[in-house]
Amino acid sequence: MPELRKDPVLGRWIIISKERQKRPTDFIIDEPKVLGGFCPLCAGNESSTPSEVLAFRSNPEAAANSSDWQVRVVPNKYPALIIEGELNKEGEGLYDRMNGIGAHEVIVETPGHEDLFWELPVDHVSLVFRSFRDRLKDLEQDSRFRYVMIFKNYGKAAGASLEHSHSQLIALPVLPRMIVSELEGAKSYYRYKDRCIFCDIIRQEIQQDVRVVCQNDLFITIAPFAPRTPFEMWVLPKEHASGFCSLDDQKLTSLSQLFSETLRRLNRCIPNVPYNFVLHTQPLRSGEIDYFHWHFEIVPKLTSIAGFEWGSGFYINPLPPEEAAQYLRESLDN
Amino acid sequence: MKKILLVDDDHAIQLLYQEEFQDEGYSVSSAFNGDEALKIFNADQPDLVILDIQMPGLNGIEVLRQMKMINSTVPIILSSAYHEYKQNLGAWASDEYVVKSSDLTELKNTVRRLLG
Repeated sequence: MPELRKDPVLGRWIIISKERQKRPTDFIIDEPKVLGGFCPLCAGNESSTPSEVLAFRSNPEAAANSSDWQVRVVPNKYPALIIEGELNKEGEGLYDRMNGIGAHEVIVETPGHEDLFWELPVDHVSLVFRSFRDRLKDLEQDSRFRYVMIFKNYGKAAGASLEHSHSQLIALPVLPRMIVSELEGAKSYYRYKDRCIFCDIIRQEIQQDVRVVCQNDLFITIAPFAPRTPFEMWVLPKEHASGFCSLDDQKLTSLSQLFSETLRRLNRCIPNVPYNFVLHTQPLRSGEIDYFHWHFEIVPKLTSIAGFEWGSGFYINPLPPEEAAQYLRESLDN
Repeated sequence: MKKILLVDDDHAIQLLYQEEFQDEGYSVSSAFNGDEALKIFNADQPDLVILDIQMPGLNGIEVLRQMKMINSTVPIILSSAYHEYKQNLGAWASDEYVVKSSDLTELKNTVRRLLG
């Protein structure tokens, strides 16, 4: 019988459709197409991008925009939102609007065109996460922005327009609806129990040990109780922290180790699976929040969103997370 | 005389642009799809390319990446009726992105600027 499950933070319902249950080998993924031709993100082509706002180089004395970088952050050449200007908030009757002010940046994760994120050395992944943290800290100084969304699209089906490994950052003058709902859900739980719901989830998942994918001393990866898609995973710090900026370099290394392992497990289960990951962190300048807990959500693109999902907000998932976690746990054993 | 290669599968656009840019004193050659554009790009070595994105066969961004691989110094303007292709990072290989309009002022100014 199918099962309805409720996400404890958002109150979102999903359907685990056991009749349609699938194994990892049932998901057919096309070989990623590596297009030939000029790539504006490759090392040596820095003149095709706007000037960098951050870069890590083995030689810190090297000139900005030189080609010996390891990780490079550049403003989007054709941004969705514009950095210059004022918000000029106004109302038109009951409708609100403002100028499309924001920062839209691309984090180029590696100079090599065909490098895969989950195959990068841990030290290199750590630089990518360091760039997330440092850009968050910098953009927090701009009082026009309230939230910074950091995300990665891997594979065409997940929205990646270029195969060169990269992630993106968009600083917004408003809080995204998803984050508002997450904050409200977490706050409601905290009012009732005086505990962070994410800390409770981690505690229960470690205790039950059926949806834990992998963990180290500081971080844990779980298949959430009510996942939207097969193999959805959350990566969380075991110790309570509401903001990603709280991570020091040592913790970033530990996160990188677990995050890489998580993606390797996913790729071993379903080679070349397209996925998105999104960083969920606290709003800018909010200080430490007792009821919120930063985390990454990794969502493979294995099911389609159609009329029922759009209309209801429900998701239909053909793979229970307990089984997904088991496949993922066993994936690196062979 | 500076040479412009105009790549667009729409005959009406080709006629309009040819007339306007010839009046501006440029020599204009035309291609109606990506494969044809790459052949002319190799053979004629244009000084600038105006490149549509939505075309049958190779799309404009694939053509752009091939052209920049052949010669990265030739300025290429992506010209599309749609804003949303700006979100395709492959478009960064272009020198400019101009949204199509019946008013060619922006496109003409961009061509003048890029050709110095």
